[in-house]
Amino acid sequence: MPRLDGLPAKMQAVLRAQPVAEYDNSPDAGPVTLASARVALVTSAGLHERADQPFTREDPGFRVISSKAAAEDLVQSHTSIGFDRTAMQRDINVVFPIDRLRELEAEGVIGERAPRYLSFMGAQHDPEAVLASSAAAAAEELLRDRVDVVLLTPT
Amino acid sequence: MLARTFEGAGLATVSISLVLEHSAMLKPPRALYVPFPFGLPLGNPGDAAQQRRVLDAAFGLFDGQPPVLRELTGEVDEAPAAPVQASALGARPGQDASVADEVTQMRHYQERWVARTGRSSVGLTGVPPTRFRGLVRFLEAVAGGDLTSRPRECPPDAELAYFIRWCCDDLKAFYAEARFVMRPEDSGDAVQRWLWGETAVGELIRRVGERMTASDDPLMRQVAYGVAR
Repeated sequence: MPRLDGLPAKMQAVLRAQPVAEYDNSPDAGPVTLASARVALVTSAGLHERADQPFTREDPGFRVISSKAAAEDLVQSHTSIGFDRTAMQRDINVVFPIDRLRELEAEGVIGERAPRYLSFMGAQHDPEAVLASSAAAAAEELLRDRVDVVLLTPT
Repeated sequence: MLARTFEGAGLATVSISLVLEHSAMLKPPRALYVPFPFGLPLGNPGDAAQQRRVLDAAFGLFDGQPPVLRELTGEVDEAPAAPVQASALGARPGQDASVADEVTQMRHYQERWVARTGRSSVGLTGVPPTRFRGLVRFLEAVAGGDLTSRPRECPPDAELAYFIRWCCDDLKAFYAEARFVMRPEDSGDAVQRWLWGETAVGELIRRVGERMTASDDPLMRQVAYGVAR
């Protein structure tokens, strides 16, 4: 994808208007040994299990997805208009690499997959609301599952 | 932002980034900027090797000291940066054909997609495709101005505006899966152009969106924004 100035004008305007906090540094959870790490996926692609509640616009919550779920168990209720859904419809791994992570586990590249993955509604106009209401709760769920590493994917 | 909260709680994170400028400001602990359009941060569908290269590069960021922001190089992306939307395409003659009959024709192809892949991304309404003619009748009533009648398939705790959106999204996904069988070589952009420019359902969904946009109900207007896209 091109950088912002390579996007269509309308999309560029939306992204430039988004409030984005600026930081000087990052938190650091410390060193990681991938080969023994328990890895969870967290996405902002608005995915969820078929029977779960669809996301609504500006939905600040998250949905839990079993790492045993297969592609046919997942649907997407993301409300954004700015991305190509057909790629995910053809292959869930373009946004939520459940099969690739399974392969990495089998090959010993990662220690193991976490029992549960999480999904948020992306493209929020007020990301602070997400942080305030559910990011900490999501972290607690991951810690409860003794997760070491989180891979975050956007859409 | 999630990455910063998670990392602060003791979870090591690595993020895939589609907007370099935002990641440079937010400074997630480890981020891999990828050269792909929105919707496919790990690359092209069906290209497991490419997806694996993205993951290898992402997990490779654990070698550095946060903040790490690295650009994935060597991958070629030729897809449009944003999908075509209904508003960009005018209706064509023939798009006023029977949507219900068109849905029945599409089912033949969509069922082949499900048989071939074992999956379908249709399912927000919970209504099986064998009953999509009923969804079409409901949407035709909406397009005709009935924005208050709740079909029995609408969950009691769901807002009608969202149920309309889910009906449209299910139909769009259903048609896309049919098209994957009809024209496997079509890009995502080509599928969108076909849906909005050549199908009767595309024209129906466009009219549904217009009707919702003209509603007095603020939620209807808000949800309408994403219907015909």
